[in-house]
Formats: sequence, structure tokens, C-alpha cells
Amino acid sequence: MTILSICAHGFVYCPILVVLIYNLFNHEFARKHFIWFAGAGATWQILTSAAGFFVLHQSGQNGYAFGALWDPGLPGSAYFELSGPRFLLLLIVGLVAFVSVLVAHHTVDFNRSSYTNLLMILVLGMNGMLLVTDLFSLYVFMEVTGLCCFIMIAMFRSRADLEGSFKYLILSELSSIFILTAVAFLMMKTGSLRYTDLAGLGSRISAGSGRLEDVLFYAALVLLISGFAIKTGVVPFHSWLPDAYQSADTAVSILLSGAVNKVAGVYGLIVVMELFGDVAPVGKSLAAVGIVSIIIGALLAVRQPHYKRVVAYSSVSQMGYILLALSTGTTLGLVAALAHIFSHTAFKSTLFTNAAALQEQAGTLELQDLGGLENQMPVTAFTSIIAFLSTAGIPPTAGFWSKILIILALWQAGSPVLAAVALIAGILSSAYLIRLQRTVFFGQTRPELAGVKEAHGSVLTAEILLTVITLGLGLLYPYILMLLHAGGIL
Amino acid sequence: MNLVTVLLIIGLLMIFAGCWCLMRTYHLLKITIGIEVAMKAVTLFLVLAGRISGSLALSETFVITVMVAEAIVAVVGTGTAVGLFRKYGSMDVRNLKQLKG
Repeated sequence: MTILSICAHGFVYCPILVVLIYNLFNHEFARKHFIWFAGAGATWQILTSAAGFFVLHQSGQNGYAFGALWDPGLPGSAYFELSGPRFLLLLIVGLVAFVSVLVAHHTVDFNRSSYTNLLMILVLGMNGMLLVTDLFSLYVFMEVTGLCCFIMIAMFRSRADLEGSFKYLILSELSSIFILTAVAFLMMKTGSLRYTDLAGLGSRISAGSGRLEDVLFYAALVLLISGFAIKTGVVPFHSWLPDAYQSADTAVSILLSGAVNKVAGVYGLIVVMELFGDVAPVGKSLAAVGIVSIIIGALLAVRQPHYKRVVAYSSVSQMGYILLALSTGTTLGLVAALAHIFSHTAFKSTLFTNAAALQEQAGTLELQDLGGLENQMPVTAFTSIIAFLSTAGIPPTAGFWSKILIILALWQAGSPVLAAVALIAGILSSAYLIRLQRTVFFGQTRPELAGVKEAHGSVLTAEILLTVITLGLGLLYPYILMLLHAGGIL
Repeated sequence: MNLVTVLLIIGLLMIFAGCWCLMRTYHLLKITIGIEVAMKAVTLFLVLAGRISGSLALSETFVITVMVAEAIVAVVGTGTAVGLFRKYGSMDVRNLKQLKG
């Protein structure tokens, strides 16, 4: 057993083990001490993804293939594989799960046992999506992830929860239908769904041949992109996203925006780009969806009446940036997309944690009932400003560097117009963020909010932790850029 | 027209019927049924893919896995619909007006 194999198997077994051990205890004990079990699972994930990355980097291999209970070398068997970019997403899953547990300690009360079990199965589903090496297993783990989300949203059984969950379920199943149909069409062509067999399929297809299988190949690409775009929640397919984020408990919203729509949506598009990036329309359609999403998401965010809805539409807009970076198809584009995924996780989780603090202390998230909380909640106001600066891409935050990387990638790929639009759209994101900050924190304190106090305990810890990550990454980014330069990517 | 084309057309019609059901009905259970009909069409496509590419055993395992997944989705969807029925006393989708912005 090497360190790498322990790390790799841990991604699959650790969540299952936590669920098994957690359910051995009696209900009252489990409910009281859920933070230790779920926190341990999340911490293990953070530590092993960091350790695994360094060990793999030291050994100089490209990837590490393993099976859960079987030998990955068997002919025709499905297997898991760990490789470079996956580690960053595994780290994000661990980090978001950790923050969500810290917030859930305050916001979730009666459903803590269900929350812990579902969180661990959700982590398992997302790890599975990141580790598998064929499209069908990707679908299966995507379904696991989706089902945990539906139940976690509907778990609190209010009218809004059930409504948000039902809308998410219907659109998510529509995307599953799209993706599975695409999988079937691709299988008609190749007879196998492994990434290694599918890669480069595009170069063997001639566009104008008119044969049934070639037509079906292009139909499959369209279906794959729209399926994963629904899961990401970018503009033509965004209708479920604000409803689901608003209705879910804040601890669940953090999971949805921080990890689920990146792993289930954007990672799927990364796989599509890796396999079929050489077919020109794929990159172009991602760029089109991305640019529309950036602008319309920001415009819709300006006029929302609810704190979480503003943040949700901001998510739509930021996903557009990630898609724009991916659409270049270059290594720098992929690096920029991953960098923005990470900084988006940090600042969007901060905003949702602040939402939990506001909900707990002020009792409402309707913007018309909030105002002037700067003096009562100084830490929350400060972390919120840092998160806004990062969203709008202003130095010295992580968001600035990842947006710079996106613009550089677009410029390098030869589309300066898209780069300019991405730059100018940053002004739109400052517009809705300034509105949010002004209504909630600045101005006169409302008389009914005079008794509000600062958040405390684990919510405050989560706010500070995420802000340290945003600022720390912002200050460390020049070194990362130097590493990229030394690696010949920049 | 050979068998493959006929089955493809039948599958596409079933998906179209499912999506039509999603758009045109206002009943929560009918919407869930629409999703299920479209999923059945997808399993048909998977069997067809196995037949065309000659790996029928692989596609059979896929179909069985998809059946399990969609059964669980149907259970969760119906459960949510029942929860909504208990809150509103009807299954009409036009009641869902809590989330607006």
C-alpha cells in the first residue's frame, strides 16, 4: 500500500465508511455530534487530495489508475483514474463540504442525521464523477449527485423547499435524458464509452457525408452540451437555479453553488472539451452560451428582491466566464477555467455563509427588510466586501487573477472581441454587487434591526476561513503565474 | 426502411411525447410520467446502440442500471409531489408561485 493508493481508495471508501459508522450510534447522540463525523469526512478529503497531488507530482506519472475492488488492468473493465486537474476539483468538493458542515451546525436542526448521511453520499457521487473513465459511469454518479441534492432541498418540507426541489428534479432529469441519448448515439458509433476510445472520434467523422451515424454524432454533441449546460445553469437553461438556491437551506445552497454545479455541470463540459474539442462548433457554442450567460445573468441579478437570488444570478454570470475560458480549448484556457472555479468557490461560499449569518441574526433575507447592518455585523460586512471585490475582479483578490487568466487565454486563442466583452461585463457585476452591499450593510440602520448582533461560532469561523483563502490566493497568485510560466503554459 | 431507422423514429416520437407531456399538462404526477416515458425511449436507444455496435451484453447492463436510476428518480419525484399535495390540497402545478423574482 503506497500513500497514493490510500489517498485514491479513500475518495471512494471514506464517505461510505463515515455513513456506516455514523449510523451505528443512537439517534440523539448522532444528532448532537454530527459535526465531528461529517467534518472528519470533509477534512480527510481535503488532506488526501492535497497529499495525493504532491505524491503524484513527485513520482512524475500522468495519472494513477485503480479499481475499487478489482484489478484496473482487466480487459474491458471500468476503472477509476486520478490525474492533475481532478485533484483541484476533489479539493473543492472537500472544502465546500467542510464549510457546509460548519454552517449546518447553526442552520440545520431536526434533520441533522439525514443531512450528514446525504452529504456523505453526495461527496461520494461527486468523487465518483471526477474519478471515472467512461461516459456511462459519469452518468450514474451524476444521478447519485442529483438525487442527493433533490432530497436535501426538499428535506425541510416547507412549500418553497418542495417547489424548488420539484423544479430542479424535472430540469435535471431532462438533462439526464439528453446526456443518455447522446451516450447511446456515441455508442452506436464506437461500441465503447471509455474516454480513451472516444477521444479523437471527431477527426474520423466527416461533416458532409450524410451517413446516419455521422449525423447522430453531431446530434450527440448538441445533446451532451445542452445536457451539461442545464446542470451548470447557464442562461438559456438557468430557470431552475435561482429557485433551487433560494428555497434550499443555506448549508445546502453552499453545496449546490460551490460544488455540485461545478462538478456535475462544468466538469462534464471539461470532459466534452477534452474528448471532442477538435470539432470546431463545440468551442464556438460554449463561447456563445458563455457570453450570453455573463451579460443576461448580471442584468437579471440587478433587480432581484431576495439576497440569495441575487447571489444565485451572480453564479449564472460567473459560470459564463468559466465556459468562455473553456471554449478556447487551450491548456491556458483550462488552467484559467480551473482557477476561476476555485476563486468562485471561495467567494460564492463566503456570500452564502454571510446569508446564513444574516438569516440567523436578522431573521430575513428579503432585501427590503434589511439595511445598515455594518456597525452591528462588522466581520460579516468586511468579508462580504472582500467577496464582492473578488467577484468583480478587483485586486488583490483571487477573482482578479483568475479573470486576468481568462482574458489572457481568450486573447491568446485569437478572440480579442470576447476578451473585451468579458472585461466590460465586469462593470455589470459591480453594479449588482454595489446594490446588494449598499442595501444590506450601508446606510441608516432600520429601527427593527437595532438589536442584531454579529454572527458567532462556526458560521463566523467559516466566513473568516473563506476570506483568508480569497485574500491569501490573491497575494500568492504571482507565484502561481511564475510556476505556469516556468511550465511553458503562459 | 430498415429496423434501425424504424426504432430510431419510434424512440424520437416517445421522447417528443414525453416533452409534450412536460409542457402541456399541469398535473404533478403527469409531469413525472412524461419524464418516465422519455427515459424509456432512452433505454430503447441504448439497446439499439448495443445491436448496431455488436456489444449487446454491455448495453444490457447499461439498460438495467438506467432502470434502477430512473426508478429512484420516480420515487423522489412522486414523494415531492405528495409533499406538495399535502401542503396545497391539489396536484396543480400552477399553485407553485412561492419563488418569484
